[in-house]
Amino acid sequence: MRRHLTLAAYSLLVALVTMLGQNPDYRPDPTWRAPDDAARKVNPLANRPGAAAGGKKLFLRNCAECHGDGSGIEKKHSADFLLPVVQEQSNGTIFWKITNGNTGRGMPSFSKLPELERWQLVLYLRTLKPVPSPL
Amino acid sequence: MDIVRSAARPLLPSKPPSLHFVATSLKHKVDRFLDRAGHGRLALPILSCNSVASNIQMRFFLLLLPVLLAPMVSLAQESPYFVTYDHHMEEPGNLDLEVSATTDVPRTGQKYYFAPWMEFEYGVTARWTTELYIEGQTTYGGSTVFSGWRFENRFRPMKREHWINPVLYLEYENLNEASRIQKEIVGGGPDITSPNSELRNTPAHELETKLILSSDFHDWNVAENFIVEKNLSKGEGFEFGYAVGFYHQLATLASGAKCRFCRENFLAGVELYGGLGSTLNFSGGNTGHYVAPVISWLVSDNATLRFSPGFGLTHESSPVLFRFGYSYEIQGIGSNLSKLFGSKR
Repeated sequence: MRRHLTLAAYSLLVALVTMLGQNPDYRPDPTWRAPDDAARKVNPLANRPGAAAGGKKLFLRNCAECHGDGSGIEKKHSADFLLPVVQEQSNGTIFWKITNGNTGRGMPSFSKLPELERWQLVLYLRTLKPVPSPL
Repeated sequence: MDIVRSAARPLLPSKPPSLHFVATSLKHKVDRFLDRAGHGRLALPILSCNSVASNIQMRFFLLLLPVLLAPMVSLAQESPYFVTYDHHMEEPGNLDLEVSATTDVPRTGQKYYFAPWMEFEYGVTARWTTELYIEGQTTYGGSTVFSGWRFENRFRPMKREHWINPVLYLEYENLNEASRIQKEIVGGGPDITSPNSELRNTPAHELETKLILSSDFHDWNVAENFIVEKNLSKGEGFEFGYAVGFYHQLATLASGAKCRFCRENFLAGVELYGGLGSTLNFSGGNTGHYVAPVISWLVSDNATLRFSPGFGLTHESSPVLFRFGYSYEIQGIGSNLSKLFGSKR
């Protein structure tokens, strides 16, 4: 019984720390919206889950400096990919946002990465497990 | 160095207290920043010899160095072009340090030269990149000269990606006529026959503008640059030049493993550049033109090597131009500096 309580308390603590590690300051830019046809695009690597490993490598190289390494947030105004507001977006929307950036708010365009590599990034982002927003 | 200078400590009471206070508070501030950043405290003693101000600068530099160079992994796969510009800007807050050189195979009666330059490229915002160049030149059997500096800015007017992405380029060049790095070729190209002793005394204050058009199409980058340059030091009219290029990443899917020699780390392409004469003599025929294969290799997460042999297409061109460069990117240098000076962002 005591062991179970310890385990439950530990799990709660991990969940709490993970939630607090998120970026509640992040406010999505309402004007940064993918066109409908772009938002509907399907990830061509959807049935190649192994490609996510390459996506992780690209993520750490290109994105982690601002967005964190997937376990927390680095910069105040960058999106935390663990947040539901990010994870609820379609694959096509995320792909479009990586491609175009939001240069007015400091997010550069990553169109220099080949198209498949950008889809690999989307694939990797889907492997990050979202947790409920903190109250 | 600090140990040697600390021998002057007995002079401390005679120093102006305000300067010593500045030195102390600066050290504490940097130490606090290092503690917060997890770098640990640097055990540099407070210096207090006669030249307190110069010591502050020296220690500040020593303290700043690890802070600035500490940042971690970063993207450094630069475009392989040496002359052509595309629309991809430096990421905001990142500093790209680059060392490059141009050398040639001369024609009969000409001499070998070696023209190195350093580039400091900084992403001010996602749509504005600024760059400082310092360059020199050595001629075989001649002399080595400092040939000047350049300050360039690139602005990307459009927010989103389009079929064609324009970039506006403005550069001020404080050079002398000994400059041979040939970052661009305008007018009739550089004078490679006169001796350095003569060329170095001929200043060339120049303003250069470019219209850069660039597209990413099916993982190929295609870029076109139109160049107009005005030498403010003498009446050469407006000089014109061009550069076009394309490149492609050798593999378009990243492997999961860390690798240095896999194809995804290589970009290859071709660029074509040359002069188009000037308003005084508008002609593309008797100027230098080159076709140059380009290749870049992402050596590590933050370093890129580039190489390009350029082949002269006209009699005014050198038969072969070799260019090579090494670039090292430091991420987040802007935000690190902001934190150092108290910003909470």
